[in-house]
Formats: sequence, structure tokens, C-alpha cells
Amino acid sequence: MKYQSHQISLNFYTASVLLFLVQVLVGIIAALQFMWPDFFILNFNTIRTLHINALVVWLLMGMMGATYYVVTEESESELWSIPMAQFQFWATVIAVTAVVAGYIVMGLYPQANMEVFGTRLLNEGREYIEAPRWADVLIVVSVLLFLFNCFMTVLKTRKFTAVQGVLLGGLTFLALMYLPGMFYTKSMVKDQFWWWWVVHLWVEGSWEMIAAALLAFMLHKLLGADVKVLAKWMYIETGLVLFTGILGLGHHYYWIGTPKYWLWVGGFFSSLEPIPLLLMVWDAFRTTRETRAPVQNRIGLYLTVAHAIFNFVGAGLWGVIHTLPQVNKWTHGTQITTAHGHLAFYGAYVLLIVAIIYVTLPSIRNLKEFNQSRGFQSFWWMTISMVFIVLSITGAGMVQTYLERLLGLDYVTVKASYNLWFWIFRAIFGVGFLVGVLILVKDVLSLVRRPAS
Amino acid sequence: MSNNSAKNLFIYGSLICFIALIVLTIDTMGTLDKRAPEITEKVDAGKKVWHKYDCIGCHTIFGNGSYFAPDMTKATERKPKGYLKKFLLDPRTIKPDAAMPRLGMSEEEADDLLAFLDWTSKVDTNNWPPKPVLAVATAGRGSGQGQMLFQKHDCAACHQIQGLGGTAGPDLTNVGNRRPDIDWHIRHLKDPSSVVSGSAMPAFANLTDEELKALAEYLTTLK
Repeated sequence: MKYQSHQISLNFYTASVLLFLVQVLVGIIAALQFMWPDFFILNFNTIRTLHINALVVWLLMGMMGATYYVVTEESESELWSIPMAQFQFWATVIAVTAVVAGYIVMGLYPQANMEVFGTRLLNEGREYIEAPRWADVLIVVSVLLFLFNCFMTVLKTRKFTAVQGVLLGGLTFLALMYLPGMFYTKSMVKDQFWWWWVVHLWVEGSWEMIAAALLAFMLHKLLGADVKVLAKWMYIETGLVLFTGILGLGHHYYWIGTPKYWLWVGGFFSSLEPIPLLLMVWDAFRTTRETRAPVQNRIGLYLTVAHAIFNFVGAGLWGVIHTLPQVNKWTHGTQITTAHGHLAFYGAYVLLIVAIIYVTLPSIRNLKEFNQSRGFQSFWWMTISMVFIVLSITGAGMVQTYLERLLGLDYVTVKASYNLWFWIFRAIFGVGFLVGVLILVKDVLSLVRRPAS
Repeated sequence: MSNNSAKNLFIYGSLICFIALIVLTIDTMGTLDKRAPEITEKVDAGKKVWHKYDCIGCHTIFGNGSYFAPDMTKATERKPKGYLKKFLLDPRTIKPDAAMPRLGMSEEEADDLLAFLDWTSKVDTNNWPPKPVLAVATAGRGSGQGQMLFQKHDCAACHQIQGLGGTAGPDLTNVGNRRPDIDWHIRHLKDPSSVVSGSAMPAFANLTDEELKALAEYLTTLK
């Protein structure tokens, strides 16, 4: 291990892939509950809360692990404080465990979710940001410690690289955009308005900034490509992500009680959102072709390029198909959104974190050669399964839009009868996805533990 | 383009976009209260109930949520409140195949929640959700007084005929076979719980005798 600080990255990666496994296990329970609502001791709402919260947290932990690595590599120095980073890791693990325990208690005894100091004790009852206010405060403290440590490392060494700038800029933006979700409003319209600031400006703003920075870092690390060229394209991509993404927020303000001009603002800007994602695909291919370097870490490069492609397909294409208000009026709130959510998160962020783990792990562990076949197996199990999961849900969404929204059939009838096959397919491919994740977890854990070669 | 100009484009361009968002946000905040009814204490209490039971973990509201259960934005607009209240208190006694479990909600909480959902149903959502095209095309096309009354009182909000209509109440596709007696239907429409104990259906006692008879006759033709 070149730097002791890299041990922190290993801790984060380990926690990250284990939570990924939890996310997929509860995901399969959720899929079965579409057919049998009473399938499990916990109701769907708790299972779904666990499914999406585990997702967000494992991706964030992956980003933190990756950032600790990138900052030490780019600064060519240990972190400003290793004990602080260690503390931040364990504090995060303990806080996450406490929040999960709270969700489960609330799932079993809904009345336990009592009001304390004007907020809910166990579950805020707001999608994605269900974590109660006391946990919000802990999350903010953890992220501040993390950012402080990274910034101090950069300040200490005074090596201000472009990748570090965009990466830490994205993470700061991420931390700031958590705040609009931390106050109560009496109006459900305002509630959702600010809630979208958090959710949208995370996944279509700050997270994409982080993705662009990590993409540049990985292409340099894998191929030795020219940093200057990579940096230029990273700036252009990030700029375009934010030009289109910030006002693209408007596509969530069509039908929640907000003024009509958002139909124009959201429709126009969000229609452009796929452009920077397409640019990232081109960037990944161009860099790979131009450098012609012999690549040792083939799985790392494979995942990096796959991330760029599926980011464009999942977040870009599957998003843009229903982003125009004329279309969204009929599809809003149907399974079309679920399909987009699954492929976008998989392409944009799951593959990103899996890629950065495979790109950095061998170098952290000083493994000159390692068996890459498990990585490929896991990738294909996950990707083929996810493509079929998304096609199943897209089919369900199209049937739902047509029958419920256009013809006026009842929601429950469509869900229980007409869409049954889609739920069955989705659950089967969910198991396929689980196989991929199990292979991934086994491989990552064995690479973390393996002695250096 | 040099690296520096790309960097400047990214930084200043993003800042301009963010400032534009803040300006639009300020303008929007000024209009929101005008686009929605007043928020009473009861509505606010209902919103807290909505959060307490994590309703969004299954349902959607304004189309946002978990896509596992129906959208609640306009829930009180079509379904009778009496039915909804009984359903909230104990879903499966009212509808045995309901996916929703009993959450232990109190009567007061159920009333508050319905007040909150009354509020959301009156928010100006730019006409979302849109009326289904088939419903619009076939509205008022009934033949005979009974069928017209069935449409006028929106019985399809809760009952299905040949796959069209809600699932809150029993399917009426073959109700004429099950209940061929016109008098039974008249008594049932006047006071549902007098013939079906524990029924959550509202009484239609305000219909005239002639209307009751026409509606009952129509129901017995459904075979």
C-alpha cells in the first residue's frame, strides 16, 4: 500500500459493496411484493425505503472511498488526518445502522414513528430523504468532516489539479444541496418543490459532476492519457451537465402545483440533458482509441466505458423519452419513471462506483496481475439482468399509460391483471442481478484481503 | 478552446444557470399559495399523518412517490369520504383483497388525512392527471335513464363493469345474476348497510323513487 490513507478507501469499498448486496436483496423482496403484498414481515413501504436508501448510501460511500483515493494520488500525499477519516468511516457506519434499525422498528410498529421536537423520530416519510432529522444532522457532520479532510489535504500540498477541483466542487455542491430537504413546510407543493432540489440537483447535477471528474481520473489512470486534454473535456462535459441539468429541474415542476412556465423551462432544458452524456461516451471511446496503450486492467477500462454508455442510455435516453410535458402528462407517475430510475442509477452511478473500485483496488493492493474473469462475469450477469428488468418495467409502464391513463382503467386492475407477466419477468431477472452482485462482492472482498503480489 | 476558457465557461455558465434557477424559484414561491386553497390546521395535521405513516412509501402524490399503489392527489374527488375513512381505519374489512395493511390509524388521524387529501385535490396542477380519453369520449353516452344515473353519480369510481371502473366496491359485471331482485337494489341504494352489514358504500337516499327504480332496473340487466 503506497499510502496508509488508502486503507480508508478499502473500508469504504467494503461497506459499499455489502450495502449494494442488501439493496438488491430487499429489491427482490419488493419485486415479489408486487405480486404478493404480504410476502414479507415488513410492508412494501419499508422495503422500498431500504432499497432506495441503501442505494444512495452505498453510492455515497463508494464516492467517499474513491475521493480519499483520488485526493491522495493527485496530491501525492497522505490525507491531512487519517484518524479523522477513520472516525468519519465508523461514524457513518454506526449512523446508517441506527437509521436502518429505525426504519425496521417503524415498519413493525408504525406508531413508534412519533413526533419529537416537530419532526419524526424514525422516518420522515419523504421519499429518498426518509432519514429522520437527527440523522440528517449526523450525515451533514460526516460529510463536513470528509470534505474538510480532503480540502486540508489539497491545501497542505498545494497541488490544485483539475480533477480534484471538479470532484471536490461536485461533493461540496452535493453537501449544500442536502440542506433544502431539512426543513418542514406546511404546503405539500412547497415540500415537493424543495424536495426536488435535493433529489434532482443531486442525481442530475452534483453527482454527474463527480462522475465526469472520476471518468477523467479513470481514463488517465488506465490509459495514461494526456491530463490536459482530459481536463478540457471534463470542463466542457461538466459545464453542459449543469447548463442543462440545473434548469432541467423544471421537468419535475410540471404537475405539482407550480406555475405553467415550468413546462417551457423544464421541457427545453431537460431535452438537452442527454448531450453531455453522449459527449462522455465519445470522450471515453476517443481516449481509448487515441492512446493505444496496452491496458493491463482490462476490466477497469471495460467498466469505465460501460458506465459512460449506460449513463447515456439510462439517464439520457430513458429520461428524454418522457421529459416533454406533452408526453409526461400521460406517463408521469407510472412505471415508465421506475424503468428510467433503474437504468439511470445503474448506468450513471452503480457502474461508476464498480468501475472506480476495479480501477483503484489493484493499485491500492499492489496487485500487478489479478484474475479479471470474475469481474467480467459479474458485469454481464448484472448488465443483462438490468437490461431485461428495465425492459420489463418499461413494458409495464407502457401498458399502464395506455390502459390507466388513456383508457381510464382502474390502477389496481392494471397492476394486478394486465401487468402480471411484467412483474414475474422483473423478479426472475432480479435474481439474475443478484447472482452478478454476489460474484462482485466475493471478488471485491477477496481483492481487499489478498496479500500483495 | 484552451483549458482555461473551458474552465471559465463551466464556472460562469453554471453560476448563471444557478442564478436563473434562484430567480425562478423566488417567483414561483410567490405564486404557490395562490394556486392552492388555504392550509388550515386540520390540513397541516393531515400532512403530518401522511408523513408519519410513510404513505409515499407505496403511493404517489402529485405523481411522485413509489408507484406501488394509486396516486392520492385527487383521491377524495371521486371516492366517497365515508368509504375512504373506513378503508383507512381497516382496509381489509372493507375490501378483503386490499394490498394495504392496517396501520393502526386513529379516527382523528383519518379525518385529518382526508382533509389534507381534500386540499391536494384542489391544487392547480396544470390539469394533471388528465382525464382519460375513453372516459371523455363515452361520457353521457348511456342509453336509458338507469345507465345515465349510473354515470351521473359516478358509480364507476368504485365499481367495475366489464373491466372498466374502480375496484373499491364489488364488480357489477354480473350483478344481475347474483341479485335479480329490483327491490333488493332499491333498499340497498337507499341504505346500503341495512342489507349488507358493514358496507362502506354511501346511501343514495336523495334519489327519487323513480330514479331508484330506473337505476335498480339497470343493475339487474347486467348479466
